[in-house]
Amino acid sequence: MRTRLRSVFDRLFTGCTYLVVAMMVAVLLVILIPIFRRGASAIVFRETIEFRRLQFDMNDRGDIEVLKAEEKQVNQFRSKVYKQIEDFKQAVDTAALFDRADEIYRDFNDELRQADIPRTQYLTTRIVNQQIRDHLRAAFEAGDPNQAKESLDSVMEFSEDQRFVGTVAEEFFELAQQFRGTLEQIDLASQRKYLAEVEQVEEIVRRMFGPKPGEPVPSMMRFRYGATRWDMAQRQLRAFLYTEQWVETEPGQPLEKTVALRADLFEGTQLYELFDYVEQNYERFFNPKLTFYWQYFIDDSTSGRYFGGVGPEIIGTLLLTLMSMIVVVPLGVISAAYLVECAGDNMIVRIIRMGINTLAGVPSIVFGLFGMAFFMLFLFPALGMSSRPSILAGSLTLSILTLPVMIRSSEEAIKSVPMGYKEASLALGASEFRTFITVTLPAALPGILTGAILSLSRVAGETAPILFTAAVALGPVPKSIMEPTRALSYGTYDMAVGDRIAMLVPHQQFGMVLTLITLVLLLNALSIILRAHIFKKLQGR
Amino acid sequence: MTTEALNIHEAAAGTDQPLLRTASQDLRGYLFSKAGRLLLLAITSSSVLSVLLIFYFVSREALPFFADYSIRDFLTSTAWYPQHQDQQFGALAIIMGSVYVTVAALLIAVPIGILGAVFLSDITSFRIRGFVKPVIELLAAIPSVAYGFFAILVLAPFLQDKFGFDTGANALNASFILSIMALPTIISVCEDSLSAVGRELREASYGLGATRFETIFKVIIPAGHSGIIAGIVLGMMRAIGETMVVWMASGNATQIPSPWWDLSQSIRTMTATIAGDMGETARGSMHYRSLFAVGVLLLIMTFILNLFSEYFLTRAKKQLGKSR
Repeated sequence: MRTRLRSVFDRLFTGCTYLVVAMMVAVLLVILIPIFRRGASAIVFRETIEFRRLQFDMNDRGDIEVLKAEEKQVNQFRSKVYKQIEDFKQAVDTAALFDRADEIYRDFNDELRQADIPRTQYLTTRIVNQQIRDHLRAAFEAGDPNQAKESLDSVMEFSEDQRFVGTVAEEFFELAQQFRGTLEQIDLASQRKYLAEVEQVEEIVRRMFGPKPGEPVPSMMRFRYGATRWDMAQRQLRAFLYTEQWVETEPGQPLEKTVALRADLFEGTQLYELFDYVEQNYERFFNPKLTFYWQYFIDDSTSGRYFGGVGPEIIGTLLLTLMSMIVVVPLGVISAAYLVECAGDNMIVRIIRMGINTLAGVPSIVFGLFGMAFFMLFLFPALGMSSRPSILAGSLTLSILTLPVMIRSSEEAIKSVPMGYKEASLALGASEFRTFITVTLPAALPGILTGAILSLSRVAGETAPILFTAAVALGPVPKSIMEPTRALSYGTYDMAVGDRIAMLVPHQQFGMVLTLITLVLLLNALSIILRAHIFKKLQGR
Repeated sequence: MTTEALNIHEAAAGTDQPLLRTASQDLRGYLFSKAGRLLLLAITSSSVLSVLLIFYFVSREALPFFADYSIRDFLTSTAWYPQHQDQQFGALAIIMGSVYVTVAALLIAVPIGILGAVFLSDITSFRIRGFVKPVIELLAAIPSVAYGFFAILVLAPFLQDKFGFDTGANALNASFILSIMALPTIISVCEDSLSAVGRELREASYGLGATRFETIFKVIIPAGHSGIIAGIVLGMMRAIGETMVVWMASGNATQIPSPWWDLSQSIRTMTATIAGDMGETARGSMHYRSLFAVGVLLLIMTFILNLFSEYFLTRAKKQLGKSR
């Protein structure tokens, strides 16, 4: 019995450890899969005609003739949308109608003045003109349909009048007829509501297609184009077809979200059909095509990172990491060489080792503080340089951060060189220094390189040390190392929490973090391959 | 043998120089090598110099703060109002914030880490090990800002929707991610020390009829306990010094959760306070110096933890060295 219990425990425990490892694998997948899946959509996606236009405007990519032909084709379908909205808006927008009636009145007066007619006729016509206008305005202003119809009838009484045939005044009657049609469809009381609704529809259409043809170009880059991606276009379509409202179901309870068809708001009006039309022809508005946007990695982004890529961020990260490597690799290798080759086990070496361990344990944000207090506020001003955040300050800070990693890996590499190599060299009469330079160092080089790549990958992902010393969220590509720079790591942070516009473009957020992780993992993979290679070589002997 | 010796003499005679020269015979060479060594030593001590510079410059910016503000208030008051008219710098809430996430992260990471280390050292085959090791290395390689990104944009909405928390950016979220980040450190240090427990001990235990479970818990873990403690301390350092994840995922509310066990509330840690506030301060102001004071506190805490870890690592080396 006891033996059985013990074996059950044993099995259970083994199962537990397997479970734990399976959990770790699961966690890794849970973290990486959404980032890779959603990040990939920044690079591989269905582009719309808006995207092609953007690419042509910004980067001169694509063929203008082809683009123009395509635009013409697309605009055929779009213009119907614009026209329907325009018509409807004209019908419900009484303020505009009011102004229009006034305009006709003034035009007709001008016409009368220039016309060759008797003076009395001129005066009476003028008075009638004014009457018609006032009747029309009364019709537009009337809250009650019957009253409005009456006023319209009074207007129409003049339509047979010979004095108005073939003049501008005919437009009065067109306007009156049009408004009568509107009256049959729309409840006058809800006109204002319709106006608000149709303005919302117009806004969504603007987000779908960009600014209307003929409208001034908006100053904000992100309003200059419609939906550049098919997934964003789909999101706009959903906003177009459905309305979300927060309704209070019970007093005192939190509001509940209800979704309704937007078309129902326009039931019985001429705009009702528009929704079917848009839904059925949606692809024709955009002409979506699957694209591989590899330029994501070299393109600059527009303000707020709404469009474009991560080119400057990649350049910034590479500058920061490579510059820090220039400092840390020699320092690390020399330190490791001294610790392995020259030093015994004395007090000085113990202090140095403790220093390295302490350095490895300092929190990364404290490195940021130190970089600011020492390089930016003490050393650079003392040397007559600027005390602003800069690539130089950031990379020096990063190089101190990664020094322990570099020393330890170089030490391992130097230690792993077989003793026989050194002894052979020494026995041939080479000095210790010569032995190290010509025998030990070349043999340890692949290992040192592995360590350097590993520290490179660590530096590339660090954010806290460059927060105050080198990074900016937005800004031009730096021209010298005394300027601050954008970086992938800081950009990832900024897009995740700092930037509200970024929330509108999740593919840009995930694209940035995907680029960072890919860079770091590629460097790691490289170092693993190198290590395996060295391992094989050492085993082969 | 004799011919070789003869050859050497001939060679020496040929160049007319002895093979090995004493210091007095070759003064220049001697001085050269001494100077070279000194130069190497100077370069090598750059890491020690860096540590000293870090301590000096961070404290230099912080010291004027303590001249104006009492250390006792700094450490025991929870009123952190650096931007008020009447500035107050009670750091207890943010210190407790760091302690909260660190302890909670360790509560998750330590059992998993030890089990994972045992799995690698005693249970699995060589082949599966070759598969699990890269997984752990990958977990260690992912940058902390990417973890923070995941925490705020994927995990936080999930927590909010599925568990009905007021906010997904809370202590639980941050601790969970921190535990994942501390795992690789804990596992690799623990595994090293468990693997270093010799074969003899294992075989003796199995020979006495103990099961694997009993062997691991009664023999191997007690024998490797120093290394395990060192691993836990190193994991703790990783968690307490981590900035980006806690800044992004903890919600940044300067408060001690009440009731004290409620991890679904937002908190703020020391690192997040430095990272978040520094952008808003004027250089040389009280607020600016207070952040350096928090930095000094962090530095001291990690330094002490580091001493602990080193003590346990040396002890582990000694103990396991004896058992072999």
